[in-house]
Amino acid sequence: MTAVHTTDAAVPTNSSSAPRRAAPDGAPRRRGSAFDRALPYLLLAPAVVAILWLIGWPVLSVLVTSFRKLNLRELTRGEVVWTGLDNYTEILGDPDFWAIAARTVVFTGVVVVVSVLAGLLIALLMRQISPVVRIALQVALLLAWAMPLLAATTVYQWIFDQQYGILNKTLVQLGFDSFAGFSWFSTGTSTLGVIGLLIVWQAIPFLAFSLYAGAIGIPKDQYEAAGIDGASAWQTFRAVTWPELRPLLLMVTFLSLLWDFKVFAQVWAMRQGGPDGGSTTLPVYQYLEGISKSHFGVAAAVSVVMVALLALLTAQYLRRLVRSQEGEL
Amino acid sequence: MKAKKVSDAKKVTGNVVAVVVALFFAFPTYWMVATALKPRKDMLTSDYDLIPFSVTGSNFATAWAKPGFLSSLGNSLMVSLSAVAAAVVIGLLAALALSRMRFRGRKGFVMMLLVAQMAPFEALLIPMFLMMRDLDMLDRLPTLTLIYFAVTLPFCAWTLRGFVNGIPLELEEAAMVDGCGRWGAFRRVTLPLLGPGLVATSVFAFVTAWNEFLFALSMINDQAKQTLPVWLSGFKTAFGTDWGGTMAASTLFTLPVLVFFLIVQRKMVTGVTAGAVKG
Repeated sequence: MTAVHTTDAAVPTNSSSAPRRAAPDGAPRRRGSAFDRALPYLLLAPAVVAILWLIGWPVLSVLVTSFRKLNLRELTRGEVVWTGLDNYTEILGDPDFWAIAARTVVFTGVVVVVSVLAGLLIALLMRQISPVVRIALQVALLLAWAMPLLAATTVYQWIFDQQYGILNKTLVQLGFDSFAGFSWFSTGTSTLGVIGLLIVWQAIPFLAFSLYAGAIGIPKDQYEAAGIDGASAWQTFRAVTWPELRPLLLMVTFLSLLWDFKVFAQVWAMRQGGPDGGSTTLPVYQYLEGISKSHFGVAAAVSVVMVALLALLTAQYLRRLVRSQEGEL
Repeated sequence: MKAKKVSDAKKVTGNVVAVVVALFFAFPTYWMVATALKPRKDMLTSDYDLIPFSVTGSNFATAWAKPGFLSSLGNSLMVSLSAVAAAVVIGLLAALALSRMRFRGRKGFVMMLLVAQMAPFEALLIPMFLMMRDLDMLDRLPTLTLIYFAVTLPFCAWTLRGFVNGIPLELEEAAMVDGCGRWGAFRRVTLPLLGPGLVATSVFAFVTAWNEFLFALSMINDQAKQTLPVWLSGFKTAFGTDWGGTMAASTLFTLPVLVFFLIVQRKMVTGVTAGAVKG
């Protein structure tokens, strides 16, 4: 499996080498008792029951619900009203929905690209700096990474506070007097800008650390060879770093897409999707329809569309991943 | 000679850039703690106050005494810890079966775990809500425990499987040759070696549960049963404009996670990257 061999190099404890995989085959062949043969299933049973009940069933249920009319009325009366594709035609025919979906995709794209690129640059930077500075940088990244989402959201609100926020105070101090009392949350776009900055700030540490782990795993002699050939910094990057890091980069990009697409806490806590729905994303829309308005059928259809969109965004990588896993099992 | 000078200049530039980047990442944490320590009157001025000159503990006292803070802190701790304990134990059982044993349908189980781990949980809000409503479980803390257990279980099983794979079976077999039973060999050899992996996995799962917001917001209405993220998100009503109290509460909210992170930081990166995608 090429996708992670760079991490393997950095993490010997996690490597699952071929001989070890072959070894367990010996165990069952010792002609076990009935208990021995049942043991793996017994060990798996609790996990399987939990996953089927708490993940598998809801997955089916969200599909089924998306074809029902299910508002508070139907719910309290226990009525089952099938409406076919009505929920889908309703949301897909709503221009607001398209605006929200497009906003979510663009927002996710920007946040993912910015955070992965910045993470890569910081990872490469970490190799070039003196140890003391590197430790300082890593501690700083750790601080950002460890802060709980909601704590970080409140701090950003305080930094961007209209009247007493340190950002406006700093800008005024620097001579930009027009920022006195400037509201960063007056439009949807600037609100999303602040939320995006917050998400990028939170996402980079993980990206930088994992890419750094990958980068220090690249064999030194490859760089020496490039040096002897007189390659420039950019050429070395293109010829050595990029091909070695590409699988890892793809993986963290995929993970970032998965995580950033469904972000809810920061968006909701910042301005509840406001002003005037200007920072509403699909997860917020789902919450508003489903929980606040009790339009469960419509919200289920939104969830299905969300998953479909996410699958579409990550299809290429998912296919590769499943294929590579199949060979490795 | 000349080349060396150039690379020196590059190194200095790199260090300077790195320091600026470090400041950018550390600043919000600094500002949170600095605000938490600042007297209220120093905060609400238009003066430039990057460095607090007078320091007070009163914001922490305010936050601590605020209605809802302690109870939501307790709720968060209880829900997260119980969910993680369940997920780690059950995940470990599954990991052992998948890593150490060969049996019919094994590949299928591994695939199931992989798929379950990729499932975007947020999209299951509606069916989960309806299910918990049917079970009369809305507004009850065990509901959140159950959900967080389900969210973290596939991750725990998958990551622990990676850690178990990393422990050579030969060690266990050697212990069995020396007279240990199967269980004894596992308990004396594999389990201790698995310790760091268990800690790293638990911490990551704990942070996931500690941070969770959407389900906590949707399933719980009763203020006495709120978790800390939901309580904190309502700080505007809870505090008015008391930023000092909010930042003190946020600091207290951050502390446990920060301590855990410092302990297992190295394992986290490798555990998460390895656990997320590989076998």
